[in-house]
Amino acid sequence: MSVLLDVQELQTRFRVRKGHVYAVNGVSFQLEEGETLAVVGESGCGKSVTMLSLVRLLPPAASIENGQVLLRGEDLLQIDQRQLRDVRGGQIGMIFQDPMTSLNPFINIGTQMAEPLIYHRGMSKKDALDRSAELLEMVGIPDGKARLREYPHQFSGGMRQRVMIAMSMSCEPAVLIADEPTTALDVTIQAQIVELVKELRDRSGVAVIWITHDLSVVAGIADRVIVMYAGYIVEEAPVDALFEDPRHPYTVGLMGALPSLGGETGTRLTTIGGSPPDLVDLPDFCPFHPRCPYAIDRCRTENPMLEPVAEASDRGHNAACWVDIRDVKVQTETDTAIAGG
Amino acid sequence: MTTQEITATSDIEIAEASRTNLWRDAVARLAANRLAVVAILPIVLLFFIAAFGPYLTPYDFLAQDFTARLASPSSEHWLGTDELGRDVFSRILYGARTAVSVGLVSTAISLIVGLVMGSLAGYLGGRVDMLVVWLTDVTRSMPALLLAIVINLTLKVPLEAWMEQMYLATKNTFFRQTMWVDLVLVFGALALIQWPGYARLIRGQILSIRSRNYVLAARALGMPTGRILTRYVIPNAMGPLIVAVSAGMGGAMVLESAFSFLGVGVQLPIPSWGKMISDGLRMWQTHPYLLVGPAVMMAVITVSFAWLGDGLNDALNPRQWGG
Ligand SMILES: Nc1ncnc2c1ncn2[C@@H]1O[C@H](COP(=O)(O)OP(=O)(O)OP(=O)(O)O)[C@@H](O)[C@H]1O
Ligand code: SF4
Ligand SMILES: [Mg+2]
Repeated sequence: MSVLLDVQELQTRFRVRKGHVYAVNGVSFQLEEGETLAVVGESGCGKSVTMLSLVRLLPPAASIENGQVLLRGEDLLQIDQRQLRDVRGGQIGMIFQDPMTSLNPFINIGTQMAEPLIYHRGMSKKDALDRSAELLEMVGIPDGKARLREYPHQFSGGMRQRVMIAMSMSCEPAVLIADEPTTALDVTIQAQIVELVKELRDRSGVAVIWITHDLSVVAGIADRVIVMYAGYIVEEAPVDALFEDPRHPYTVGLMGALPSLGGETGTRLTTIGGSPPDLVDLPDFCPFHPRCPYAIDRCRTENPMLEPVAEASDRGHNAACWVDIRDVKVQTETDTAIAGG
Repeated sequence: MTTQEITATSDIEIAEASRTNLWRDAVARLAANRLAVVAILPIVLLFFIAAFGPYLTPYDFLAQDFTARLASPSSEHWLGTDELGRDVFSRILYGARTAVSVGLVSTAISLIVGLVMGSLAGYLGGRVDMLVVWLTDVTRSMPALLLAIVINLTLKVPLEAWMEQMYLATKNTFFRQTMWVDLVLVFGALALIQWPGYARLIRGQILSIRSRNYVLAARALGMPTGRILTRYVIPNAMGPLIVAVSAGMGGAMVLESAFSFLGVGVQLPIPSWGKMISDGLRMWQTHPYLLVGPAVMMAVITVSFAWLGDGLNDALNPRQWGG
């Protein structure tokens, strides 16, 4: 398979009153044709900003300081606005978290769906509407023709997300970026949306980047996973390798299997205590160290790079951690601190 | 176009034609709203009278009939005459002119100021935003009538003196007409009272629409900026603005009446309803008709603008359209 999207050293920060917020700090990853890549991490770790940076959809306070975003070899950070608009929707489709507010309440569904087809595909209005009706049925909204006349408020949240998916897929993009598309929906609806995207992906061969907090979704949909923390990719692995053999303490934490910091709750497995850092500075330490039960001295003075893990069970398994957590027996009530080696 | 294309009109296209346009839908919804339709009549009538009043009135608004002072309503003077023997009905019709010009001009001024200030605050943010918000807060914290009185008391004399000087210097008779001072003061006061409302509304609209997900989604679909502005931002901002302007028109007219009532209104030969009400109030026990005519007009117009504003609000908000 060939590389479709190649992101190199992407760096995005926000100008705020007191300096900067370093939201994305040298992120590099590849997406192959037809591949599904999951991006996981807690709230605020830079998942959305990374994806918005790819197509330069950032708010005014943000600036991309460095990097390359090569889509089939063309750097999206260098092309002009007009070319960029052709990429958006044409080659990279996006769906967002909150379907309730992602549609313009003042325009009916048909007109709204037709716009990208007219704009990117040069279709006549009639053809675009006919196609939109087909697309609605394709995403599981029956009687598409009649529903084109309706307005967003006449659709439920799940249906609106289906409409958004239909719109973002309408121009047959090479990449679909789904930024937590199910977070705002009921659990049953979530599963339906995941299934829908899988089905569309399998039918069209679109490559998918699926952002989520939820590792259980990842197992069902992704080929490969990127774990982000504090604007860094801290672990990257094929999905099976990540679940069977996680190497970064943060990944272990996301799986709900991190031993508690300091050991005061004994051997009970906990979610990760503490919260992500503020990102007001580029750290010269591991950004996870205040929450990490494995932290050693080096973690406080040097920020680890993303590197292939030792004795990887699978190719392409990288982590940014000074410690090989397999070597460490973690603290329990009876153990004293073993970190510090 | 080929015949094939013409005959190939699908139901979709027909549906499209009937439902695609928000404004068409809004008009239909407005027409279905009884109160709003009822309200349109007096408002249209008001504008009509304001435009053509002078051709409709039986008497000139200044024509004094000393033989018929404080006459009761009769076939000659439908609503009677005032102390100076002036026909009340004619004066009410002329008063529509004052009301409409006050409503239009003060709303226009405050809307422009509000648009500029609100957009600056919304777009630029930061210090500019803080300054505008502070200014609007300060202005809104002062009681409207007090503000008008203060403006009138502090500026009227110096302004008139300046006009006099200008007249002496230029011999231009324009500077002899002190009614301009009144107009500037009244419109100025009204605009000062009303701009903060528009500024805050527009600022809020810009802030909220700019960060709306559907704008992001449209950009993510590659829609050009111009199209996003015309299809997404402006339609979504217009509804509340139209409603506010409608209510503001009525509000401005009532305020002007209140000014006149307090003696800081338009001191023109042209009648103002507020002035007529305040004059009529002195004799309401003996000659109630002096009060009733202008008061009823004022009430009808105010209520009409409120109903129309409500109707527009419902008509322009798709969320209220029901499934
Ligand atoms: N407009 C902004 N101004 C300043 N900082 C911002 C802005 N938007 C995002 N950030 C910062 O960028 C960082 C990354 O945000 P991002 O939205 O990418 O997180 P995320 O991983 O998508 O989180 P979530 O799961 O909540 O969507 C956050 O720490 C946030 O503080
Ligand atoms: S580098 Fe150190 S602090 Fe960071 S995750 Fe690894 S062990 Fe924990
Ligand atoms: Mg996000």
